[in-house]
Amino acid sequence: MTTLSEAVRPGAVPDRPADADEAPVRGLWRQGLVVFCENRLALVGLGLFVLLAAICFLGPLFYHTDQVHTDLTKVHLAPGDQGHPLGTDGVGYDQLGRLMLGGQTSIIVGLAAGILATAVGTIWGAVAGFAGGWVDSAMMRVVDAMMSIPSLFLFMLLAAIVTPSVSMLIVIIGAFAWLGPARLVRGDALTLRSREYVQAMRGMGGTGGRAVRRHIVPNAIGTVIVNATFQVADAILYVAYLSFLGLGVPPPAANWGGMLSDGLADTYSGHWWLLYPPGIAIILIVLAFNFIGDGLRDAFEVRLRRR
Amino acid sequence: MVRYLITRLGQALVVVVLVTVIAFLILHLLPGGAARATLGKEATLEQLAAFNHDMGYDRPWIQQYGMYVQRLLRGDLGYSYQLNQSVVEAISQRLPKTMVLSLLSTVLAIVLAIPLGVIQAVRRNRWPDYAITSLSLLAYATPIFFMGLMMIILFSQVWPILPPEAPQGFTVAEVLADPAGLVLPTITLAIVTIAVYSRYVRSAMVDNLNENYVRTARSKGLSERRVVLRHTLRNGLFPVIALLGMYLPALFSGALVVESLFNFPGMGQLFWQAALKRDFPILLGVTVIISIATVVGALVADLLYAAVDPRVRLQRSAS
Amino acid sequence: MIETSGRHTPAAGGTQPLLELRDLDTDIALRRGTVHALDGVSLQVMPGETLGVVGESGSGKTMTALSIMGLLPPGGRVSGGQILFEGRDLRSLPADEVRRIRGVRMGMVFQDPLTSLNPTMRIGVQVGEPLRVHERVGRAEARERTIEILRRVGMPRPDRIVDNYPHELSGGMRQRVAIAMALVCSPRLLIADEPTTALDVTTQRQILELIDDLREEFGMAVILVTHDLGVIAGRADRVAVMYAGRVVETAATGELFRSPRHRYTQALMEALPESAIRESGEHARLYSIPGLPPDLSRPLTGCRFAPRCRHVTDECRTTDVTLTAGEHQHACLHPVPAEPAAPVGLPTPARVEPAPDPAGAPAGPAEPAAEPVLSVRNLVKNYAAHGRGLLRRTAGQVSAVADVSFDVGPGETFGLVGESGCGKSTVGRLAVGLEQPSAGQIMLDGTDIAGLAGRERRRMHRQVQLMFQDSYAAMNPRMRVDAILAEPLEIQKVGGTAERRARIATLLDQVGLSRRVLERYPHEFSGGQLQRIGLARSLALQPRLIVGDEPVSALDVSIQAQVLNLMRDLQRELGLAYVFISHDLSVVDYMADRIGVMYLGKLVEVGPARDVVRAARHPYTQALIDAVPSVTPNPAAARDGATIRGELPSALNPPAGCRFRTRCPLAQDICATEPPLAGDAHQVACHFPLRPESAAAAAPAGAIA
Repeated sequence: MTTLSEAVRPGAVPDRPADADEAPVRGLWRQGLVVFCENRLALVGLGLFVLLAAICFLGPLFYHTDQVHTDLTKVHLAPGDQGHPLGTDGVGYDQLGRLMLGGQTSIIVGLAAGILATAVGTIWGAVAGFAGGWVDSAMMRVVDAMMSIPSLFLFMLLAAIVTPSVSMLIVIIGAFAWLGPARLVRGDALTLRSREYVQAMRGMGGTGGRAVRRHIVPNAIGTVIVNATFQVADAILYVAYLSFLGLGVPPPAANWGGMLSDGLADTYSGHWWLLYPPGIAIILIVLAFNFIGDGLRDAFEVRLRRR
Repeated sequence: MVRYLITRLGQALVVVVLVTVIAFLILHLLPGGAARATLGKEATLEQLAAFNHDMGYDRPWIQQYGMYVQRLLRGDLGYSYQLNQSVVEAISQRLPKTMVLSLLSTVLAIVLAIPLGVIQAVRRNRWPDYAITSLSLLAYATPIFFMGLMMIILFSQVWPILPPEAPQGFTVAEVLADPAGLVLPTITLAIVTIAVYSRYVRSAMVDNLNENYVRTARSKGLSERRVVLRHTLRNGLFPVIALLGMYLPALFSGALVVESLFNFPGMGQLFWQAALKRDFPILLGVTVIISIATVVGALVADLLYAAVDPRVRLQRSAS
Repeated sequence: MIETSGRHTPAAGGTQPLLELRDLDTDIALRRGTVHALDGVSLQVMPGETLGVVGESGSGKTMTALSIMGLLPPGGRVSGGQILFEGRDLRSLPADEVRRIRGVRMGMVFQDPLTSLNPTMRIGVQVGEPLRVHERVGRAEARERTIEILRRVGMPRPDRIVDNYPHELSGGMRQRVAIAMALVCSPRLLIADEPTTALDVTTQRQILELIDDLREEFGMAVILVTHDLGVIAGRADRVAVMYAGRVVETAATGELFRSPRHRYTQALMEALPESAIRESGEHARLYSIPGLPPDLSRPLTGCRFAPRCRHVTDECRTTDVTLTAGEHQHACLHPVPAEPAAPVGLPTPARVEPAPDPAGAPAGPAEPAAEPVLSVRNLVKNYAAHGRGLLRRTAGQVSAVADVSFDVGPGETFGLVGESGCGKSTVGRLAVGLEQPSAGQIMLDGTDIAGLAGRERRRMHRQVQLMFQDSYAAMNPRMRVDAILAEPLEIQKVGGTAERRARIATLLDQVGLSRRVLERYPHEFSGGQLQRIGLARSLALQPRLIVGDEPVSALDVSIQAQVLNLMRDLQRELGLAYVFISHDLSVVDYMADRIGVMYLGKLVEVGPARDVVRAARHPYTQALIDAVPSVTPNPAAARDGATIRGELPSALNPPAGCRFRTRCPLAQDICATEPPLAGDAHQVACHFPLRPESAAAAAPAGAIA
């Protein structure tokens, strides 16, 4: 249980005079950074993410391909053929260019849905945890109920009703993946509320609002951030599943999951370049976020470790 | 204990009711609604209105929900025009087969995950731990259908010893009669489960190995083997029972993908095809039934956990 | 009783030591560097004797025990020396053999009875396990013998307890189970590592006596590891004092306490609160050892105590000092002269017998003639014991505080003492307004705090502050010390940035910390430093009253002395009043002007500190006093006195009338009616007070039935 107090400070503490002495946070930041950097896997994860994101978002600036018009004269070219380093797919799109385009969608949907889910879940969990009593019970029963509907079934049900676009996908996944963070934050809020330092603050005459701003939020935010990275990884996988099940983003838009599902059809025809690159890309980005999450967790925890 | 039982049952009941509310809301509050979804895009406004009137969809929502629940209680989940059979019938043909698949893969997962987790905990921060952890993460990061495909390529193409398609039998007995066909779907579904469970067992074991009672056990001159098997493993495994319940939704989600990939005639495949054809009675019926299965499963796991673990048993009966 | 005769047998020459440690080195590899936890530790334990190993945290006393048992934590290993048990070196024997020896010939009891038993295993199975494993005894016989051993450690209804789980028992009972488990194979050596630290004094006494009795009964040797000099003084034949991974002094118990030679041992004894209480009731200043123990992960030369020693010379810092030869060994270049007429600072035992009070005015501060700072009237706090379930029916009420009244005058220290669960902490929390009383009044400076709201309530919090036992838990781990100290000022909107900074600087000076701490985080400090920061925070608003809830209980003796001195200095300087809550009677005795004794939510006795401790009137107070282990080595006295037996009743349904009557040796029928708190200055709530109010304390000594 842990946190990034600095992440909240600027906005969360309005009543606090700007104080030169108060640059403290760099100390904690730096400690956390050191720990994060000591975790080799976390660095690998971060590096992977930066690399993949750079390829997908900056790559098209240097590597121009036509991803709108199909070219049926250049179908299923093998890698290296006619200047297509990764070959072409069944309608003549350049596979490398398509990977970049698909990666943009996957990363954007993953990040946006993960952040949306975290935000909704944090608010829900925090309200339940602070309110307590029957409000808490009612809110948590709703979470229980939604959690007992297997998420993929829910996503498909929604995707079957509304035609998914990129933004719709974000909303669908974000709107139902917040249950985990909600439970987590509620648990944190409940334990933090009874911490001795919160009592000490009350003993000085402090209000509930101050407890939330100065003590509970800064100490809970770490859990939230760590969880958000895992949410992003999950969201990317969900997009892949929906695409596989035929309810992803419709063409000509692309995403890695959709490309991978399309590649499945080519399994028996030997067009391996349509199958493995998107598959490996998904695995790498999901791993990257998991590594980053693990590293962040350590970074936050170490600050609480005593001596 | 009895009181805990009643409380827990009450909670489960509330959750089931909420599930029906959510399913109902999804179907009836989204743009177009059930009429548009059922009749398709070409239907005229008059047709839609007539359909809504016939189905009672023009009445107030509360009343509609009441009717919906009434039908639900009668075991009437609606009728699928596309399959030309009642939803209950369609589900009852498929549900047992999904249960067989889930059960087989769960059993396989537990049997493999426990020893793996124990090895990781006992050899923690040494190479066996790192190796298993890496593989678990890899399994977790790989989309299930990609994993399944690798299996098919490996065991049906490169080294053709298993069929790439699941058994197509109509009954459970027919499905079980073709064990070879069950192997790949079961393993595929089990792999992610193994990754999740072994990680859990590992951390539970590590926590327990750091407990003071383990030091006490060692002070009695017990062998390391006995300390792990008689003391830590028991305590580490009790919570796994509760995890079984919590993991059910993920398991069913996985089954949905695996059934679709291997063409296994279960609930997941039924749901998938219904989604592609926008067959809403089936979609809704399956969602409600699978959710109820989840709630009941979690309830059973929870009660079992409370029954076998004396810590929980006492804590729950005391308060 | 023949307790004294048995004690000297082991000294008879010729016998081989049961256990001998020779130059034992133990290292613990941590993420950053290696801690040399033990450095050349040599010890001997004779058959049948009790060796006390005493030291502060980090001294290596527990590591010594764990090294013997082969139970070092991950990363720990014995890197040099020998562990000779019955003449064989455990380090050179095969692992299986060693395990058998440890299982059968040795037994160990750990500190925390709550966590050291397997929570999911029935008591009988756990206790009988060594029999099944090492003696290959059948299930039925193991059960038989388990019941027998449980009976011998004084478990009531052992034949039913065997089928229980640990959490169904109280702490004291669990410790008995742990002892039974260690003894089930009749070992030659029992190692008890802080066996009573987690227990209340009255339970502690029962457990220590049990270990003593069993030692004689089984003819085994005992290594008693503890931080508590008092526990050692009453129970051990010989004592080894450890500091920073080394044995610095070892001698027969009486000899050591009468005439300590090593300067560390001497300083440690002078730091004990009871050593500072003079016969007259005056309180001398405690000797506090400055600084902190050395960091054992760095290379160290010379005497390890040198940086903190009053008598240090250059030689001490460079020369490696080894233990002298003989019966009384010490490793000090400038030892306390042997057998001085009266050892420096060592107390003439203050509490041998209740001294007849020298008539005269009590020497305490002004009696609460002035308006009291805090006035508690008929305070009641009940907690609802909720049932689970939809209806949340109230299953009953826990009576945490029942009709408690007392006053605290300006500049006065009121000590509140009692065992865990007696309600003393709840009183503290109520007094600072952290909880609302169920009934009764809490008057701060004559104003009932219950009636305050909003701004007035906030201002009330300036008057009274709480000081926590665990300052680390009471500080937000993500806040720097400057933010922590500024928080009360911000909440109360005191001053601007510059004034606040100046105020914080003053506070640091007052508690003796440098400005540099401001930029650091709580986890970077030691316990004593944290307690200083906590105290500074409490002082920030210049309160008139500080409620200290066990403020020194988590600290080592030498650090405890620093904090206690600081608290007294500040009291004098600032005219503070304290409510000092503690389970430790000797600390309360040292700190308090007046003492209130609580039992199960009731205040059973209130009076001037001296009178309460030296002329207790309530049987419970007397039992508490008798149970406190004293450094005055007087084993005979330690065994006398009416010990209370049995367990604390549940506060859910406390006994009607006098709540102590279920355990009281004097209880009679009338005790079922509630005795009032009667008397003048020294009040007691008892139908049969042990003695009348002393003449000095009360002019009319009449109010006793």
